[in-house]
Amino acid sequence: MTRETPSSAADLAVEVRDLHKWYGEFHALRGVELAVAAGERIVVCGPSGSGKSTLIRCINQLERHHAGVVRVDGLEATAEPRRLEAIRRAAGMVFQSFNLFPHLTVLENCTLAPVRTGVATRAEAEAHAMALLGRVRVADQAHKRPGQLSGGQQQRVAIARALCMRPKIMLFDEPTSALDPEMVKEVLDTMIELAGEGMTMLAVTHEMGFARQVADRVVFMDQGQIVESAPPGDFFAHPRHERTRAFLGQLLH
Amino acid sequence: MTSAAIPAPPRPARGPAALAAKLFGSPLNVVLTLAVAWAAWSLAAPLVRWAVLDAAVLPAEPAACRDISGACWSFVVAKSGQILFGIYPIEERWRPTLVCAVLLGLLAYSLRPAAWRPHLAALWAAALPGVLLLMFGGFAGLSYVATTMWGGLPVTLILTVTAIGGAFPLAILLALGRRADLPVIRTLCVLFIEVTRAMPLLSLLFIASIMLPLLLPEPLLPDKFFRAMIALLLFAAAYLAEVIRGGLQALPPGQAEAARALGLGYWRTQRFVVLPQALALVIPSLTNTIIVMIKNTSLVLVVGLFDLISSGRAALADPEWSSPAMETYIFIASVYFALCFGFGRFARALERRAEATP
Repeated sequence: MTRETPSSAADLAVEVRDLHKWYGEFHALRGVELAVAAGERIVVCGPSGSGKSTLIRCINQLERHHAGVVRVDGLEATAEPRRLEAIRRAAGMVFQSFNLFPHLTVLENCTLAPVRTGVATRAEAEAHAMALLGRVRVADQAHKRPGQLSGGQQQRVAIARALCMRPKIMLFDEPTSALDPEMVKEVLDTMIELAGEGMTMLAVTHEMGFARQVADRVVFMDQGQIVESAPPGDFFAHPRHERTRAFLGQLLH
Repeated sequence: MTSAAIPAPPRPARGPAALAAKLFGSPLNVVLTLAVAWAAWSLAAPLVRWAVLDAAVLPAEPAACRDISGACWSFVVAKSGQILFGIYPIEERWRPTLVCAVLLGLLAYSLRPAAWRPHLAALWAAALPGVLLLMFGGFAGLSYVATTMWGGLPVTLILTVTAIGGAFPLAILLALGRRADLPVIRTLCVLFIEVTRAMPLLSLLFIASIMLPLLLPEPLLPDKFFRAMIALLLFAAAYLAEVIRGGLQALPPGQAEAARALGLGYWRTQRFVVLPQALALVIPSLTNTIIVMIKNTSLVLVVGLFDLISSGRAALADPEWSSPAMETYIFIASVYFALCFGFGRFARALERRAEATP
């Protein structure tokens, strides 16, 4: 199993140590270890129910873990609300179902959090949001409601919205799974551009083309554990574990 | 596959000819139309005769109603002051009049979306103590008037505005509390809602007016008027809380998750993301509950407060007049109708505004 040894803990964008999570009796995460260095891009894959979504939802603490340590940008996750808010500001998240706020315009979706948490004035937040909306090529939709946009446009707005908080790392939870096939590419292209700009990324996705193109490491999860972690070249060419081979076999059919 | 464009089906015809075709298109329709028209006429004609043709409006004296078979509106005209303001001292009636004008004016002003800014809350916060002070008097040369002398429309309006205005924020807190992570808060909210909802409003008013004086020492005991106000407030809050909870549950959990994931704390998530959507979802049932609560204020008459209905009944006791109860209650009903219908229209406009945001 390959794992880069980071020079020091301070360089880690995300550090997960012996993470356990239960849903009732179901042991969803069973001692997960993961270190993401600043600037690193990691793709997490695995069969459904393997715990990949739970893992990234534990990283920004949308789900509380029961045992182990989660650190984001050097901040250890505790139950303390201020700490949680700081962690979530450091880790932007993009959801499978977009979760844009339908009662606000696209621009308001982007400026709500920066303005209301006091990290920017309204004017600063709007200028920043317009720049980001331009980068994801939906600036012309800024004054529409999310419901008037296509799925692909909505997901690109969701990426811009997360970037508006100037996160240190971006978490993607199956960002293309709810999209019509013809819109998958525009979202992936946006993510590839983001990777090209040096953003630290942790993406749960089944888009193996994306993994090949941008990932530094591909992580395979099954039954609540990380089974295999390797650079995409090795991962696809020489999967070591039987379960990885079975999963890739099904995926490539 | 056909390449020719298929025209859309024709729109249903409108206008007098189409209407006539609908009403008299077949023998059955002719019979039904005539039967309904006859029934409507036989109900409306006596009503119009009683309320308009045979009615007396002026002069506003008992003599005007002696020899008429229709409605005695003269009584309502003559007694409107007493019905609207109860036994509040006549020479001081300008005070309740001003109070009603301020409250109705502010209500009308509050209906405009352009007015929904922070200054509106400040206006209300200033107006409510202001109208209460004006009703009480006892300063700046104004004579003191106890709540036992208050009556009519100002009582109805003050009770409505404070009970519903106070119940709404409390209901939001109760609805959020019922879904809170802390079991203590959840249990307290459920307990309050279930107990309050399980009691008839009448018994709650009796508890407030009769039992509280037995439980609380005199200096701590609020005035009967305020006891009734608090009872109405708590009752309305329990009902509104459940309506609001319905909206909270209808909202996909992804909305609050997305807000939290952006670093917004609990209260900001609720205020800017969850509540605006949850409340918009339940406008029809909120409207319904609030209209019921407006009319519930009339129940304070059982604990001896003079709302519109009780002051109307008091006015009817005048032996000079032949007790035109029907006319009085129609007048009172029309005041309630104006309040509730006005609120209903406002809520409909609000709903359309919310629908306009897909």
